[in-house]
Amino acid sequence: MTRTDPAYLLENVTYLYGDKKVLDIAHLAIAKGSITGLLGPNGSGKSTLLKLLAFAMRPATGKIFFNGRREYPFSPNIRSRVTLVTQKPYLLRRTVYENIAYGLQIRRDTADIQTRIRRALARVGLAYEGFAHRQWHALSGGEAQRVAMAARLILKPKVLLLDEPVASVDAQSAALIRQAALAARKNWGTTLVIASHDLAWLFDCSDTQISINNGTLFSTGMEIIIPGPYTTGRQGLTKILDNSQCIVLPPAARSGKAAIIRREKIHLTTGRETDNRYDNQLKGQIQSMHMTGKQQEIMTTIAVPEMTFMLGLDPELTGSLLLQPGKEVFLMFRSQDIVWR
Amino acid sequence: MDFILEGFVKAVFLLIRLDAATFTAISATLKASTWAMAASLTAGLPMGFVLGYFDFPGKRPLRTLVDTLLALPTVSIGLIIYALISSQGPLGEFGLLFTITGIAMGQTLLALPVIIAITAATVENIDPDLKLTLVSLGAAKLNIIRTCLWEVRYGIMAGAVTAYGRVLTEVGISMMVGGNIKYHTRTITTAIALETSKGQFADGIALGLVLIFIAFCVNICLSVLRKK
Repeated sequence: MTRTDPAYLLENVTYLYGDKKVLDIAHLAIAKGSITGLLGPNGSGKSTLLKLLAFAMRPATGKIFFNGRREYPFSPNIRSRVTLVTQKPYLLRRTVYENIAYGLQIRRDTADIQTRIRRALARVGLAYEGFAHRQWHALSGGEAQRVAMAARLILKPKVLLLDEPVASVDAQSAALIRQAALAARKNWGTTLVIASHDLAWLFDCSDTQISINNGTLFSTGMEIIIPGPYTTGRQGLTKILDNSQCIVLPPAARSGKAAIIRREKIHLTTGRETDNRYDNQLKGQIQSMHMTGKQQEIMTTIAVPEMTFMLGLDPELTGSLLLQPGKEVFLMFRSQDIVWR
Repeated sequence: MDFILEGFVKAVFLLIRLDAATFTAISATLKASTWAMAASLTAGLPMGFVLGYFDFPGKRPLRTLVDTLLALPTVSIGLIIYALISSQGPLGEFGLLFTITGIAMGQTLLALPVIIAITAATVENIDPDLKLTLVSLGAAKLNIIRTCLWEVRYGIMAGAVTAYGRVLTEVGISMMVGGNIKYHTRTITTAIALETSKGQFADGIALGLVLIFIAFCVNICLSVLRKK
């Protein structure tokens, strides 16, 4: 292991469910201490990738290196360093105290355990006095997720993998979980890999974004995946969104590929254009707008039927178009800018 | 109907007077069933866990075999054990026939499929997220097995109580292997069978009450443990 080794290096990794290949990654490197955002539709392979990174499963083929060294499930080198929080965490049939203490107890690292549990609970906004001795079944969904997070944070992990950690919790719990995750990097240099549908948060906090679809990675996160099914009709190959809208696609070289368009190829207007420069003109509505500190852009989420587009807009443009959440906008792009990968 | 009431009254007297024959039968029953449960849990829990947790070739036929053994008649088990431990059998030299140990062996065979089948079914139903959680908290393989068993302890305890119920109430094995020898291998159930055949309902009812009381105590203990 050298200082320059990435936290993770995946080479030619595949994973199969039965005969179906659900993950196929030729190469992926994740830098130490970085925050990586995983984007992609449901069923795209995000959870499978996170489980492989957590060494909870063995890949069908390929190698996973951790800190420059090839590792396998149950290796002592990764057991105390990598941890995963899932969307619906499983709490052991015990008290909150015992749930949080579990990881330390199996490591026989129980010195000053009560103070550490108190601190771990405080990190996720739970008071020791009110929660430590509650049973697992006496917690709300948000509290259970925060306890699961505290059970990982007490281990001071080198890698914290978060699989939709705030998808099914209330807004207050979500804010506390996000805050605790980011504090882990700040305090201990923890590497974070986060899969979330909260694109605004993901773009704001992550150093790198990776898009994933059908188990294949797109390295930059600048791509928008137009998921199937695709339909062949009078207009050629299309992705039907609803009764009135569809995306016109270029002919596919072969099946099994995903339609991808880069964000910068999409133009946003507040009215339909009459010339035929853009054969795709989708009507949508702004869902949220969020200033990103890193790129000095306004990350704007636009919902069209069945899809969400996330665009980084110039603050001047948003000002001139008087954009605001709830406003109706049009997304313009050419089918020839869509690629199959 | 009077003889039933009379039986109840006499039963209370027998128990209060600490009747020797009654209490040796209770003692024999408790000894044999305790040994049988200890042995069947020791062997059955790991076997049930392996059968429920892991996938391996031949798992399905093995499950079917275990499920079939659940319905094994006690007299058949008695016959098998008798054949094994009688003087002509392969274990004849150990002199186990007509002993409490012999009865415990048969009862172990009776309880084992129950423990294996219920443990396997309980383990099969473990939430898949439990293993993922344990791995993500840094648990080693042995920690995972221990914690999984602990997480499903109530299901396994229910299995153990079911098995204990079978062991406590069986007659066939105790009669065939134990020989129903007074003050030695006479158990509660063989005593009830004998006393009833002789028309001594009071003794039978007294012992029946004790059986119900033991079952009640076991379930109370289980209930207290669950609350904890």
